[in-house]
Amino acid sequence: MKTTLNLLIAILLLSSSAMAQKFITKNGNISFFSSTPMEDIEAHNNQVNSALDVETGDFVFKVLIKSFKFEKALMQEHFNENYMESDKFPNATFQGKVANLSDVDFTKNGTYNAQIKGQLTIHGVTQDIEETGTFTVSKDGIAGNSKFNVKVADYNIDIPKTVINNIAESIEVTVDVDLKPLK
Amino acid sequence: MKNWSKILIVVIIFGCIGAWVGYTFMYNKAHTNFEKAEADFSLTARQLFEEFRNDAETAGVKFNGKVIELSGRPTKVEETDSLVIAVFAFEEGMFGAEGVRVSMLPNHAETLKKHPLTLAIKLKGFCPGYNGTDVIIESGSVVK
Repeated sequence: MKTTLNLLIAILLLSSSAMAQKFITKNGNISFFSSTPMEDIEAHNNQVNSALDVETGDFVFKVLIKSFKFEKALMQEHFNENYMESDKFPNATFQGKVANLSDVDFTKNGTYNAQIKGQLTIHGVTQDIEETGTFTVSKDGIAGNSKFNVKVADYNIDIPKTVINNIAESIEVTVDVDLKPLK
Repeated sequence: MKNWSKILIVVIIFGCIGAWVGYTFMYNKAHTNFEKAEADFSLTARQLFEEFRNDAETAGVKFNGKVIELSGRPTKVEETDSLVIAVFAFEEGMFGAEGVRVSMLPNHAETLKKHPLTLAIKLKGFCPGYNGTDVIIESGSVVK
């Protein structure tokens, strides 16, 4: 899986045509939010690697699980040790494509609705996903935003019965990446 | 019998208070202060990068979740809306420069920004791991 992703990124970023068609960031933001009557939990990660090839629509991101920051240290500890097993599964990845590439003009400033299709891997489990988002094209680069839900059960994440009422079955994930041309 | 009942009630009440205090203390325990934490490993930025580059899995077991003190000459200092990052670049790869990236604690950001790039620096921080291109160090502080 890791080799495949690296290969995809390599092909994505080092392939034939002009480098200006590849946009990257190493400081993307991903946050998630869990809401239950018992409590709200959120965490943020602002060191996300992401790359977009505007020619082919290939889009990837990779995130270190241990880089998610919680308000409460205990939550962060439980998240890494008990739920995500981040020593065993240190990264989460997405590799996919902008499915409606013909609707997005990356050469012209503006905000475009995008359909993103691909494989999301969390906790060692890969699922096909199809989500919506936006790309905002400006002179500074391309800002990509998406908000979608992830069911913890789909990724074999076990929540202990003692805290099952504190963690939502479906977690809201927000992705914000400011992509700059690869020089 | 009546006295036993009273003792039992007192024990239960104190037990509940103890459990509540314990839970509250644990629930609200502070995040680790990485600025003051003892380093688990001390090495150069290049050594750290090469350990991950050569065998990411073994290096992950060794360094992930640990406090690292690393030295070297930063290639550049990057600034985002929320972060100041010391970049130690050693290779060019799929995401541009690859190496070690140290995101600084806010109270150490200015010290880093003023540091001349021609000179070596010693930084300390928490290592969450390697993302395939860079070794990430967080909550970085300037040691000297």
